[in-house]
Amino acid sequence: MILQFIVNGIILGSIYALVSLGFALVYNTTRTFHIAYAAIYMFASYMMFSFFRTLELPLIISFVIAILATVALSLTIEVIVYQPLVNKNTSLNIIMISSLGVMIIVINTIAMFYGNETKILNPDISESYTFGNILITYTQLYQLVTSVLIIGIFMLFLKYSNFGIRTRAMRDDSTLCKVFGMDIKRMRLYLFALSALFAAVGSGLIAYDVGFDPYIGMPMLLNVVVALIIGGIGRFEAPVLGGFIIGLLQALTVWVFSARWQDAITFVLLILFLLLRPQGLLGEKQRAV
Amino acid sequence: MNYVIHILIIINIYIILTVCTNLLVGLTNLLSLGQAAFYGIGAYLTVLALTVFHLPLIAVILFVIIGTALISLLIAYPSLRLKGDYFILATLGFQLIIYTILYNWVAVTRGPYGIPGIPALKLFGMVDISGLYPFLILSAILALLVVFIFYRLIHSPFGRVLKGIRDDEIAVLSLGRNVTKFKIWTFVISSGFIGIAGMIYATYVTYIDPTSFNLDEAIFILAAVLIGGTGNIRGPVIGAVFVILVPELLRFVGFPDSIAANMRQIVYGLTLVVLMYFRPQGIAGEFKLQ
Repeated sequence: MILQFIVNGIILGSIYALVSLGFALVYNTTRTFHIAYAAIYMFASYMMFSFFRTLELPLIISFVIAILATVALSLTIEVIVYQPLVNKNTSLNIIMISSLGVMIIVINTIAMFYGNETKILNPDISESYTFGNILITYTQLYQLVTSVLIIGIFMLFLKYSNFGIRTRAMRDDSTLCKVFGMDIKRMRLYLFALSALFAAVGSGLIAYDVGFDPYIGMPMLLNVVVALIIGGIGRFEAPVLGGFIIGLLQALTVWVFSARWQDAITFVLLILFLLLRPQGLLGEKQRAV
Repeated sequence: MNYVIHILIIINIYIILTVCTNLLVGLTNLLSLGQAAFYGIGAYLTVLALTVFHLPLIAVILFVIIGTALISLLIAYPSLRLKGDYFILATLGFQLIIYTILYNWVAVTRGPYGIPGIPALKLFGMVDISGLYPFLILSAILALLVVFIFYRLIHSPFGRVLKGIRDDEIAVLSLGRNVTKFKIWTFVISSGFIGIAGMIYATYVTYIDPTSFNLDEAIFILAAVLIGGTGNIRGPVIGAVFVILVPELLRFVGFPDSIAANMRQIVYGLTLVVLMYFRPQGIAGEFKLQ
């Protein structure tokens, strides 16, 4: 029985890892506390709903269009809201509050057009494999394979490609990058696009499994941020590790207590980490500033 | 007319919430996303004071302020060791933990069912305070009291030290002030008085459940402060009036009810984004967020 929970935890964790990596991509490099990421995540599910259920396009095609639409939204936010603030050289807190405002706008616009009720992408019950006494649905298998594949490819990309090296340089010192003549503005566009892509893939995979409403973004964002903090800010492996830990922890919470206490346990873990190991598991020791 | 009085009572509640939150955000530069938790704790402590201890009005007020302040002390101590984004995350974490506890500890809080039929506050132990006009007077007196206390606080030496911490923490530290102690006091005072808002809310509506004190409410309170303006008394008061009144005005523009709630949220969001770009100190504030 516990094996089943561990497997569920790993699968959920893979999604957290993917979405958390998207958040880290923006946070580690630009230090933007991208709250609107919650709305971007939610937006992808609704786009998929529009193309798959309303326009009745094939699943894969609607998935791809939804990802593109989500990337477009993310870039729009970057160009209209963040860039002008960055050009004005405002503080990061102001950018964070603006991001909060953007999140409120996007969520309520979606709620206005689609309604507040839960929407379902896939009304059928997914078929499943059984290994011994562990049961895995096809959808879960897709979730695991897709997210692990994307994370793996991205890690290689980060290590060996020119873009990856630039990203890591920006993480280390974005002012110095500017001094060396890197086009920060364009880099930011790439990073925001890529982070939206990760959010959209995660969102689509979850939406196909359990359905969604306009308010799914915030709980996801919170889990993702906790994953990033306990993994450690800085290294890009950290949010992946954190994501799997959160997934496993939540699955075990369901096993030991009940699903109602998932949030409480997750945030107790966050606070323990903030107090005892603010640099996270993989971070280097430094003062929490 | 009843409608106008209802709106005025709600505005008074939010004035208390924003003026208290401003002490953290505008005076000490501590962005807290956890103030709705203390609003809720105040409301639940009021129920405790009224149904279990049967206290009169003045005693309830003191009980709620001190009780909320003590609980906030437990949160202030660990959170204030952290800075910047980490502090915001810690308050957010506590907000969610307290919400989860209120929601799931059914034996004590009745959880999602909420607590109906909260008894009225008793003036001098006999006269019930119920109905619109008595509540308008009560809430106005308490809001004025809070505004007065915080006005004096901001203009006292204590308030000046807080402004010093906000503008240059290291400088205050080098002058030999115990910055952490000041921050903890700020957090506890702000949270304790927020409890009063919870008391008015609980006895006015006579029904509470945890969803009134969730993260969205915390975001809403912070947004109200930032829209009105931070660092003085005028700002948060204007913020409270703005966030309550503008949606009501929208109602007269004639949006259908089904989208009115979302439309109202969109207005806040848009105001926040536009203000942060053009006027980061808010409509009438004096402190630009750092």
